[in-house]
Amino acid sequence: MNWRHKDLIDLDDWTREELNLFLEQANYMEELLNRPIKKVPALRGKLIVNFFFEPSTRTRVSFELAEKMLSADVVNWSSSGSSVSKGETLRDTAWTLEAMGADAVVIRYGAVGSADYLSRKLKKASVFNAGDGTHGHPTQALLDLHSAWKKLGNLEGSRMAIVGDVLHSRVARSNIKAFSKMGVKVILSGPATLMPTDIPSLGAEYDPDPRSAVKDADMIYLLRIQKERQEQGLIPSLDEYHLRYGATEELVSLAGKDALVMHPGPINRRVEIASEVADGEQSIILKQVRSGVAVRMALLYLCLGGVRN
Amino acid sequence: MILIRGVTLFDGVKITEKPLDILIDGEKVVKIAPSLAVEGAEEIDGTGKILCPGFIDIHVHVREPGFEWREDLESCSMAAAAGGYSTVVAMPNTEPAIDSAPLVDFVARKGASLKGARILPSGCVTRERKGHLIAELGKMTAAGAAFFTDDGSPVSTSQILKTALYYTRDLGVRIMEHPEETSLTSGGQVNEGLASSVSGLKGVPASAEYIDVVRGIALSRDTGSPIHFTHVSTALAMDAIRRAKKEGLRVSCDVTAHHLSLDENHVLVSKFDALYKVNPPLRSKADVKALWEALGDGTVDALITDHAPWHNDEKDLPFQEAPFGIASLECSVAVIMDTWLKLGRPVSLERMLQLFTSGPASLLPARWGHLGRIEEGALADLTLLDLEESRDVDISSWNSKGKNCPWKGEILTGWPVMSMIRGSVFKKEI
Repeated sequence: MNWRHKDLIDLDDWTREELNLFLEQANYMEELLNRPIKKVPALRGKLIVNFFFEPSTRTRVSFELAEKMLSADVVNWSSSGSSVSKGETLRDTAWTLEAMGADAVVIRYGAVGSADYLSRKLKKASVFNAGDGTHGHPTQALLDLHSAWKKLGNLEGSRMAIVGDVLHSRVARSNIKAFSKMGVKVILSGPATLMPTDIPSLGAEYDPDPRSAVKDADMIYLLRIQKERQEQGLIPSLDEYHLRYGATEELVSLAGKDALVMHPGPINRRVEIASEVADGEQSIILKQVRSGVAVRMALLYLCLGGVRN
Repeated sequence: MILIRGVTLFDGVKITEKPLDILIDGEKVVKIAPSLAVEGAEEIDGTGKILCPGFIDIHVHVREPGFEWREDLESCSMAAAAGGYSTVVAMPNTEPAIDSAPLVDFVARKGASLKGARILPSGCVTRERKGHLIAELGKMTAAGAAFFTDDGSPVSTSQILKTALYYTRDLGVRIMEHPEETSLTSGGQVNEGLASSVSGLKGVPASAEYIDVVRGIALSRDTGSPIHFTHVSTALAMDAIRRAKKEGLRVSCDVTAHHLSLDENHVLVSKFDALYKVNPPLRSKADVKALWEALGDGTVDALITDHAPWHNDEKDLPFQEAPFGIASLECSVAVIMDTWLKLGRPVSLERMLQLFTSGPASLLPARWGHLGRIEEGALADLTLLDLEESRDVDISSWNSKGKNCPWKGEILTGWPVMSMIRGSVFKKEI
């Protein structure tokens, strides 16, 4: 099977077959990471620019590690705020990146559609979306899928409860796409003020009560609650949120002891997740991080013209 | 003298069955008859085409003064004429905002002496369009204001809207309300529903339009003053207007070319192309359907462009960073007629043509009451429409400076092929 994707903007046009192939490739990359000498020369001579216009540590570091493992040349271009506020538009930035000879650009940018926009402006370079506003974060979804798949095997017919601020969550949007393509039933839960109005259009269901939402769930996925949401008046207080929707040991017990607890990080202890749960046996939060590097290696390798072993 | 031969005539109300000849002498239509023989007249073959009163667009962002790199009175006038319009109304959200008689006078004078369509001024409801105090509406009426509007925003408070409605009751100039309850729309980018859910962008709910329309209807009832709602985009607001009309209130509204032909899916399918970013946002398919029904049942009084030209440097940005607005003056008639044809003519042709002509004319102050009809002795503002003409939207040939057009390159059917303003042919493509 030839890999047809040059970019990853979001997972809409990935098939289940491609996701399966991808997961195997990610497994192979994870094996590489376990070797004493981790580095392979697959992308030697390729220039990758990590273009981060929003604060991000884990995603940027994870991409950078993946790029370095594959021996690519890496340039980090970070800033905060939009380029517009600095007087340069993303269009001019795109042309600058092209002129520098970038083979790929990893973009994290606050505006929805910015990765799509960049890919329209770049003629040759691959574009990898590391988060475009509230819209998409497909590599997070891939690493979540990889971590869950390694634990559970075939995901067909399993259930995932995503609890939290779905309205503002690019992670939730990309995850719904990735997991439902693999045959997972996705149930969203959280206060109605933090839910999109048209949930069926996302391919998910809504259950306002997290207790029934997590019942029989194979995966409980918790979303980060930003302090901002309290300031915006969308939730009365972080404490009330924790009481009603936080992943406590009691809530997780309703799902059963085999359910996985997942979170994209960074976690807010005693808001969306209790410490006992975050650090408990069902949590695979740190495994997700490890999957992140492998998944990004697989992505770069497949899209930048590597030949599959 | 110009003689248009063998044309189907739409006089502003109805279409005549048999082809007619129309003679224009100077600025006037002088003779309408089945067969005319006039020596020395320049002849135009109108066979198979429909001659209409010059089309009127009551909602255009001309951008002058203050933003001439986006559009100016001259370029807008030419663009309007090329697009089939003979009269357009300029919105007052310029810099400075058109909020005083001298500024209205500036647009009125310049707008009356351009190469293409005439441009009528509108004035702000409130001083500096800030929503605090009503502007000098009487002086602006005398200077020739065709509407009063704070377009771009609603009139800020219900009290100010009520005051302005009372104050304009005997002026004969309508208030045009941009219906939007801004506490619900702040930060909004796309329709609330499918587009907001899939994108994560803040949604602009239909209820925000509905609430402001209901406010305007209530205040029109209280004051006895007419009110016009512009760029109505939702089924919900349309229902409220329909009921108000049934009640006998002097309420009117218009609909844009883009809300009749595009919906929120275009934002998603285009992968967030900023060309589809507009306020009010492109709505649901059900809303689009409801707008077409409202054209048919008389709820809608006029078709508009809400032409909002931007320089490419300002508009070519990621969706969330780009400004709102679509430039459509030079293709809107074809956009609407092409959609109408593709939908299988859901509304009668007469009704469609009324919405470009006598409909908007009826909303203008009495001094412009003669527009929107064709009869012997009437001003020769004419639009020749060819429902079989198919061609692409070629923005490179546009007179408008704004190229932010989502239909660029698309092949559309049903174009205006000639515009005549005061007896002068602007463009002839026969």
